Amino acid sequence: MSTVLRQHAEDLFAQELEELRKQDSDKRPPNWKLSPQSVVTYLVGGKLKNGFEVTPKYIGNRRLMEIAVATLTTDRALLLYGLPGTAKSWVSEHLAAGIAGDSAMIVQGTAGTSEEAIRYGWNYARLLAEGPSEKALVETPVMRAMKEGKIVRIEELTRIGADVQDTLITMLSEKTLPIPELNIEVQAVKGFNVIATANNRDKGVNELSSALKRRFNTVILPVPNSMEEEIDIVKRRVESFEKVMELPVEKPALQEIRRIVTMFRELRSGATLDGKTKIKVPTGTLSTAEAISVVNNGLAMAAYFGDGQLNAADLAAGIVGAVVKDPIQDKVVWQEYLETVVKPREDWKDIYRACKDLAI
Amino acid sequence: MIHILGIRHHGPGSARHVANFLSKVKPDIVLVEGPPEADELLQWVNHTDMQPPVALLLHQSDEPQKAVFYPFAEFSPEWQAMRYAREHNIHVRFMDLPVAHSFALDNEPATTAQEAEVEAVHGAAPTTAINELPNLDIPFKRNPMQHLASAAGFEDEEAWWEHMVEYRLDNTEVFEAIQEGVHALREDLPLPEVKRELLREAHMRKVIRQAEKEMFQNIAVICGAWHAPALSNMPKQKEDNDLLKGLPKVKIECTWIPWTYGRLSYDSGYGAGIPSPGWYEHNWKYPTDDGTRWMAKVASLFREKGMDTSVAHVMEAVRLADALAALRGLSRPGLEELNEATLSVLCNGDDIMMQLLHKELIVQDIIGQVPIDIPKPPLQLDIEKTQKRLRLPASADWKDYTFDLRKDTDLERSIFLHRLLLLGINWAHPTGVNSKGTFKESWRLQWDPNMTIEIIEKGSWGNTVESATSKYVVHLANTSATLPVICQLLEKALPAALHESVDVLMQQLNNLAAASGDVMQLMETIPTLVSISRYGNVRKTDAAMVSSLLQGMMTRICISLPQACTALNEEAANAMIDLFFGMNDAANTLQQADILAAWQATLQQVAHNLNSSPVIAGYATRLLSDYKILADETLVQHFHFAMSTATAPAVAAAWLEGFLRGSGTILLLDEALWSVVNNWVATLDEDTFLQVLPLLRRSFAHYTQPERRKLGEKAKSGPSTGKTVRMPSEETIDEARAMRGIPVVMQLLGLPLNTPGHAE
Repeated sequence: MSTVLRQHAEDLFAQELEELRKQDSDKRPPNWKLSPQSVVTYLVGGKLKNGFEVTPKYIGNRRLMEIAVATLTTDRALLLYGLPGTAKSWVSEHLAAGIAGDSAMIVQGTAGTSEEAIRYGWNYARLLAEGPSEKALVETPVMRAMKEGKIVRIEELTRIGADVQDTLITMLSEKTLPIPELNIEVQAVKGFNVIATANNRDKGVNELSSALKRRFNTVILPVPNSMEEEIDIVKRRVESFEKVMELPVEKPALQEIRRIVTMFRELRSGATLDGKTKIKVPTGTLSTAEAISVVNNGLAMAAYFGDGQLNAADLAAGIVGAVVKDPIQDKVVWQEYLETVVKPREDWKDIYRACKDLAI
Repeated sequence: MIHILGIRHHGPGSARHVANFLSKVKPDIVLVEGPPEADELLQWVNHTDMQPPVALLLHQSDEPQKAVFYPFAEFSPEWQAMRYAREHNIHVRFMDLPVAHSFALDNEPATTAQEAEVEAVHGAAPTTAINELPNLDIPFKRNPMQHLASAAGFEDEEAWWEHMVEYRLDNTEVFEAIQEGVHALREDLPLPEVKRELLREAHMRKVIRQAEKEMFQNIAVICGAWHAPALSNMPKQKEDNDLLKGLPKVKIECTWIPWTYGRLSYDSGYGAGIPSPGWYEHNWKYPTDDGTRWMAKVASLFREKGMDTSVAHVMEAVRLADALAALRGLSRPGLEELNEATLSVLCNGDDIMMQLLHKELIVQDIIGQVPIDIPKPPLQLDIEKTQKRLRLPASADWKDYTFDLRKDTDLERSIFLHRLLLLGINWAHPTGVNSKGTFKESWRLQWDPNMTIEIIEKGSWGNTVESATSKYVVHLANTSATLPVICQLLEKALPAALHESVDVLMQQLNNLAAASGDVMQLMETIPTLVSISRYGNVRKTDAAMVSSLLQGMMTRICISLPQACTALNEEAANAMIDLFFGMNDAANTLQQADILAAWQATLQQVAHNLNSSPVIAGYATRLLSDYKILADETLVQHFHFAMSTATAPAVAAAWLEGFLRGSGTILLLDEALWSVVNNWVATLDEDTFLQVLPLLRRSFAHYTQPERRKLGEKAKSGPSTGKTVRMPSEETIDEARAMRGIPVVMQLLGLPLNTPGHAE
């Protein structure tokens, strides 16, 4: 077993990618590892002709994935947009893994991301010693992806300052990266493309300029439609983490997952599932991703400090932590929810007591 | 040779294939799935003024509400077949089961819900009956075509059919393929046999046999794909004839009416509806469009709505749609792919603009047109002519109008719309007018093909809008014998300029008023009549007539009112006071000395009558005091009298309540009223005061808290004379200090400083 904490998608699902490649009969765009159809299959899962089962990576609308893949075949850049925790980065990682077999070309967007992080930087020691030369260049993931014809992922595009964002325009429209200092340019090899992610909840984001917006096709990833879909997502992801984390615990009880998903859905939508009671909404987003991490957290608690069985007490701390992001406002919301919704539910007594014991 | 062309109703591809096929095989007769009753109407199909979407409307002669529509769009295969036949001067006939039978069968109680289930798009009759609409709740039965679609690897049978048939350009053997497919389905699927469907197919076969008998050589049959196999495999003639024997029958009438795309879509509850008439029309007009033209349309719509959309956007959207089609293994992008591309490229994932797109382009609600000289009910003809003359076209989307009634055309339009409203044809709805004044009216107009039924039904009342409305109103007037109803009718009939019926209504009103012992009912009608008489002039209606009627009614009321005000319980008394309010308003508004005098005299009577309900007596006294008929001494006298200790406390309290009704603020501001009450209280000795205190408290309890507080303050501020408010300020002026301020004030006012007077 590998010793890295979290493997890249292309390593974790190497077998699936290999099987898909073998079974692939459709035409592949230049430099793509799989045909577009197979990429979609890789993302949404399915059974191959030889009976091999591909696990679904994205659980939701197949059409969205088709739009995403089709976008990349037209060498338009793809912008995945949505609330935090709607699997944007997850999808972009798997798209890159499926298409280019390499999901590691990544630029993390922050307010401090500079042009050097997107275009190229200089090795100043070399630059001073030898003068400007190609050797003195420090390549960025974007530049490497252009040279190798791969997919580069830009995480949190809207966090990057507007002026820096716009350096992408030339790369996206001219498919070239000029290096005026050396009077050369890097021309993108076929297969190069950009997948950016951005979330529409955070404040203080830099809106994309319309020039840049025009170069992206946008796919909005929605929050899960139904309770069952969300439970499915949490279950699958938690199980995959178990593998990665090597947690010595029984499979998480579906019951517990259902309860957490119910809680999160109720708090997110501001009403109980039966639609009868109105609830205040906390400041956090309470995404599916957070539900996943709460269950993981609970599993770890159960494994190392508990009896190996996932129970309410193991989950309580995680739930409270996820819900109460603002110590004053959210505390009120949480306590109201606990007293008015959780307490009356007959089979939720254990979780009510566990949360009550934490006494935040 | 019989050619069976199985189609989907309103499929642009089917229409294209049919048109191509017909011009290739050159049949000598065309048989179309449709009601045989309407054969006569086929001659109008290629009239120059005939513009689809149109529909055949068939209704039961004696019961117009029982009606059925057969809509056709330009891209309906049936329409193309009919046009082909008319243009090439060959025979064309409808072959479906006559509506005369199906209506008669509907009337039989045996009809079950099963009937409604046969709404599979391809097999359903291409009709929409209004009485079918509630059936929408029945879960849509799995469409048998689904089996073919999933065999071909499609999730959705609609998408499958569209890509296999509607988007297909090449039409070699397409009908053979459809027939074979459906044949296999009908052979292998255990579908319930619905009697109505069997009857329909039997009748279709009967018509085909008839054509053969008449020695037609080359027969083209256009029918829903589902029926195709049943028409090519003819059973014995006798079986069909047995089936069709002795069917019940009703009398049917039919005509062409304009239809709308909105009503052609599913949303309207039309069984054989299509989701996207606008897109189908596009597809019909530009069958080879790969999405570019459509995207250009979308872009120009977006630009119209102020959204920046460049040519590059269009290009990228088309590319994405193509890529999506390729990914899904389709030969060309369909509407879904184009929509997804629009959403992703043009809208940045935001679906608000998509809703607009749906309304404007995908459904594209337009209305068709039928020639004016088509035989149709005279009333409808009259409405259409008037619409044309007044330039008020029937449109599928709503449109707002504002009329200036001082202009002749606008007045005529308004009259026309008012008449239609009276007839119950809800084409126009009056909307509120912003500006004041009575010469403006605003209306919102939206045509709905269903109104045709209403028109046909109301056609029994007359042949023109005027005569029909007039007679209909008279009919209503004669059947409803209450004053308020007549009064409302009158209010509506006056702006509709129905002089004859207004006369009748007036007569009726007069009769009822004379016979009516119920004063309250009479009083209720007064405000309406007053507003008619006052504002009627603008509309050139005979307001004088109303005036005289009103006068008569007012007199009647004045006579019997004092009686009516006695022996009322509290509830009835309060209701009466509201009517008093209206009456008083009316008397003031009319500004006719005699009426006003009569009214005041009545008030006097009510006020003086010891048997009047005390609340009303109090209120009447108050009104009289407002008219200054009771003032000063007399008023005070009345007051004391009503509040005297001999009167039962409850009665006194009620009187005071009536007197001060709703006048908390007035009491504060009207010094005269204030002093009456205040002076009365001041004259009371202590014992009496203690006695009436509860009564006072009760009357004042109706006022709001701030009103009561202010009243208290006012009472506290000392003996009330008219001048109390200003007096103190005059006394406390410090002249020396005031002088110092004067120069500044003068400067502010821009006056020269050294004015004569108090200058230094």
